[in-house]
Amino acid sequence: MTSTVQPPTTTGTAARAVDAYKVYGNEADENAVRALNGINVDFAEGAFSAIMGPSGSGKSTLLHCLAGLDSLTRGHVYLGDVELSSLSEKQLTLVRRDRIGFVFQAYNLIPTLTAIENITLPVALAGKKPDEQWLQTVIRTVSLGDRLNHRPTELSGGQQQRVAVARALVSRPHVIFADEPTGNLDSKAGAEILSFMRQAVREFGQTIVMVTHDPVAASYANRAVFLADGAIVDEMADPTPEAILDRMKSLGE
Amino acid sequence: MWKVTIKGILAHKIRFLLTGVAVMLGVAFVSGTLVLTATIGHTFDGLFSTIYKNTDAVVRTKAKLGSGFQEQRGRIDTSVLQVVKSAPGVSVADGQVQGFAQIVKRNGKALGDPTRGAPTLGFGWVPDRELSVLRLTQGHGPEGPNEIVMDSKSADKADYKVGDRVPVVTKVGNQSYDLVGIVKFGDANSLLGASIVAFTPDTASRVLGEPDKYDFISVRADSGVSQNAVTHNINTALKNDNLGNTIEAVTGKEITQENQSNVRQGLSFFNTFLLIFGVVALLVGSFIIFNTFSIIVAQRTREMALLRALGAVRRKVLGAVIGEALLVGVAASVIGFVGGIGLAAGLKGLLAALGIDIPAGGIVIPATAVIWSFVTGILFTTIASVFPALRASRIPPIAAMRDVAIDRSSTSPIRILSGSLVTAIGIALLLGGLFGKQITAVGVGAFVIFIGVAILGPVLARPVSSALGAPIGALRGITGRLAKDNAMRNPKRTSATAAALMIGVALVVFITIFGASIRASVNASIDKSMRADYVVTTGSFGQGTLPLTLEQQIRGVQGVTSVSGVRSGQFEQGGSVKQLISVDPNQVNSLFDLEVSKGDIRNLGIGDIAVLDNTASDHGWKIGSQIPVRFAQTGRKTLTVQAIYKQNQVGSYVISNDAYAVNFADQFDTQIYIKTAGGANADVRARLEQVMQTYPSAKLQDRTEFKHSQGDQVNTFLNLVYVLLMFAIVIAVFGIANTLGLSVLERTHEIGLLRAVGMSRRQLRSSIRWESVIVALLGAVLGLVVGIFFGWAMVTALRDQGINELAFAPASLIVILIVAGIFGVLAGILPARRATKLNVLQAVTTE
Repeated sequence: MTSTVQPPTTTGTAARAVDAYKVYGNEADENAVRALNGINVDFAEGAFSAIMGPSGSGKSTLLHCLAGLDSLTRGHVYLGDVELSSLSEKQLTLVRRDRIGFVFQAYNLIPTLTAIENITLPVALAGKKPDEQWLQTVIRTVSLGDRLNHRPTELSGGQQQRVAVARALVSRPHVIFADEPTGNLDSKAGAEILSFMRQAVREFGQTIVMVTHDPVAASYANRAVFLADGAIVDEMADPTPEAILDRMKSLGE
Repeated sequence: MWKVTIKGILAHKIRFLLTGVAVMLGVAFVSGTLVLTATIGHTFDGLFSTIYKNTDAVVRTKAKLGSGFQEQRGRIDTSVLQVVKSAPGVSVADGQVQGFAQIVKRNGKALGDPTRGAPTLGFGWVPDRELSVLRLTQGHGPEGPNEIVMDSKSADKADYKVGDRVPVVTKVGNQSYDLVGIVKFGDANSLLGASIVAFTPDTASRVLGEPDKYDFISVRADSGVSQNAVTHNINTALKNDNLGNTIEAVTGKEITQENQSNVRQGLSFFNTFLLIFGVVALLVGSFIIFNTFSIIVAQRTREMALLRALGAVRRKVLGAVIGEALLVGVAASVIGFVGGIGLAAGLKGLLAALGIDIPAGGIVIPATAVIWSFVTGILFTTIASVFPALRASRIPPIAAMRDVAIDRSSTSPIRILSGSLVTAIGIALLLGGLFGKQITAVGVGAFVIFIGVAILGPVLARPVSSALGAPIGALRGITGRLAKDNAMRNPKRTSATAAALMIGVALVVFITIFGASIRASVNASIDKSMRADYVVTTGSFGQGTLPLTLEQQIRGVQGVTSVSGVRSGQFEQGGSVKQLISVDPNQVNSLFDLEVSKGDIRNLGIGDIAVLDNTASDHGWKIGSQIPVRFAQTGRKTLTVQAIYKQNQVGSYVISNDAYAVNFADQFDTQIYIKTAGGANADVRARLEQVMQTYPSAKLQDRTEFKHSQGDQVNTFLNLVYVLLMFAIVIAVFGIANTLGLSVLERTHEIGLLRAVGMSRRQLRSSIRWESVIVALLGAVLGLVVGIFFGWAMVTALRDQGINELAFAPASLIVILIVAGIFGVLAGILPARRATKLNVLQAVTTE
């Protein structure tokens, strides 16, 4: 794991899918479900990207494949220069631990661990001590100062997601993948989380790739990519909620 | 509702399999025990029927000491034979002589291992073949004074053939005989693995019995005369000869039944002994069932609530859960019962390994085995499921729409109060039973203590797991930390799982402390009181087998200054059978300190007795008191108390060897104590060993060796109990694996998340393994505490029985903890594998 702070803006590619296919069932079968049907997409370093699409468009599958949680039927995914499909299960685990941060929609936290323990979990799993200064910065960013020694059941849904974001940030991963991070939150708590994520991208140069079907959430991103039926159908730079909504309507949601 | 029940079982096959295994093993133990004892009993019934097939009457002394297997009768004069023969209807009558005869193998060692207890029997060859218990299969019966026959099993084992010269040790020492024939005991190759040698009647009374004495007389009636008639005639003849008060005739049928019932009585003790372990196994199994069903109910709260919401009444939900338990109980009982039949063969093998050979015969399956297998299996399962079922039935329909709540009732004051109360009642029962000599109360007390500690378990689980887990957390980092937290997160579940192991560990610890205390007491008394330099032992408890000729020969060895044989026997005092030992009163003070407090042991004459101080004060005896006693051989006597001693290692009564010689039929030493000039040294030892050469079962030991050999005897017994307790522990290990497996399923999301954020499979396995170790150690620690208490209580209660030292055997206890930890690791293997196989993606996605 490299711990060099990335410069605020770069032009490199953080994550990439090349001719990515994910087919459930026999690929030759015309009726087989094609979750990903030949996707080519790049996600830039230091950017906040949103993957949008209606239910069943394959957006979550794409995220899972990019994050090394799921494997492609055909094609390649890269994390930086590393091709994930060539890695063993063990290497993938290490990549997830050291180079990827996750924020899920729910079940983000280990119930037996306190907030601070949850935040430092990936570092602890690596058998390392967290960078104390950076840890404080992260905690300050997500405003959790007084809740650090509480267990997840004692935290609100919004607070739990802030802990999850902090955990994703603390190991300074190459990319943070967020899967509907605001899906279970009310709009106020959701807006807070999204602000933190945008702040992390702007101030720390963190790369974030987020799946969402919420146009407001996607509007926090620098760029939105639209999926339908397992294929990229459009993309939009610096999207606004209205523009996204229009685009989504045309995709049939 | 049965449909729901059956579907519920089918949907969770593995879970029910594991639960079933817990019941199954317990049931198998119960069924195996009953099948084994029934099979043995049946075999002996047949054996005795064959042996006494042609015996119409048996003439013997009326007076007896003890009953059943312990029964002892005096010998009768050979002159009685004429009286018996004169009775009308008697066709043939023969005197029978039995005694000790030990075959010596070609390598000079005794046949069989005397420490393992199969007897070595000598018989007089009864000329009338139909009256004999021995059936000739090869050669002919002994005809000359130097001829013998032996049983075919012994001949095989020692590799002797007809025509060989065989050394045999009897009360007259080691002498060689010509083997002229091979016999069977009835239809069996041997009698429970005992070796059998038969001599001519004359030789037999010289080397086995006494001159002009028979042990009993067997009678065959004239054809057409019934057993009852000939027996009546003999009794009349005895009466006419004024022998009616001391000698009786009984029918062959009665003798057969007596022997059969003696075997059954012996077996019933053995049966009870084994069944205790079966019940312990079932108790452990019921903890596991309780736990499994509790977890299942908790996990299926939504399902149950949905059933309620859809209109199922509470009674139906209750029925569905108990129904599941019932089906598991029935299935496990069927498999356990069948498995028990196989296990019976295994137990038989275990006995054979201990030297107790059971004659071959078809397996007998008694009705009790079927009934008890099903009653215990189904009862334990159903009772254990009642509480989880009640909990299930209380789930309100609304719970279908709620998230599963976390159980936090573990430390309620009611639990602490009731748990403490139950434990206290158990302790009171146990102590009351131990000090009041009520063995049933001891068992019930132990059972109640286990329940009490199990109720307190959830209260103890959190702090104890926390303490146990702290070093693991510190050593293993985050994986250890997670293991500790997971072990603590559901105290009820953790404690119920641990409680199952607690039972097995507590019993192992108890037995260990008990055994160590016996060893320590024996060692301490040897250190403190033994003045002899050497002891000759046979390496076995109980009846002596050292001919008096050995004692005489040792006396003649150069350098030996003092020798006393110690004999042991039984007599009746105050209506019950008591143990005594005899010593040479003039030698004993220089060999062993009896700690005589009143009187002088040297004054012990033929009509005298020495008594342990506690026994004397219990009866109010003083020096000079006259004690009425009865011996099997010589009947009623009155003995004078000549000395009172404090040494409780030797039992309550000591008489002189001269008194023993007068009052007991067989004269053998159990041990011989030797003092040499200037203490133990290699020269004297070499000369003594020379003497031992001809006595294969005699072992010469110095003080250190003697201590060790005493300890080894205790260990042999301990090992047997350990093997039997293993069942309960294996079941508990299954329980840990089962609970952990269910917990892993419950934590699917969590485990998925851990894997997603970078926990490797190895770390995950390690975490679950350590959790398993913590649960196992929790059970072991609780078991250790309970077991130490049992051990302390038992040893304290037996303080006046010769167990003066309380030894905790810390090294053994540490080993027990380590083994429990290893069992924890083993129990964690399957759940850990299951956890690593969980699909990370499915685990982290919401749907």
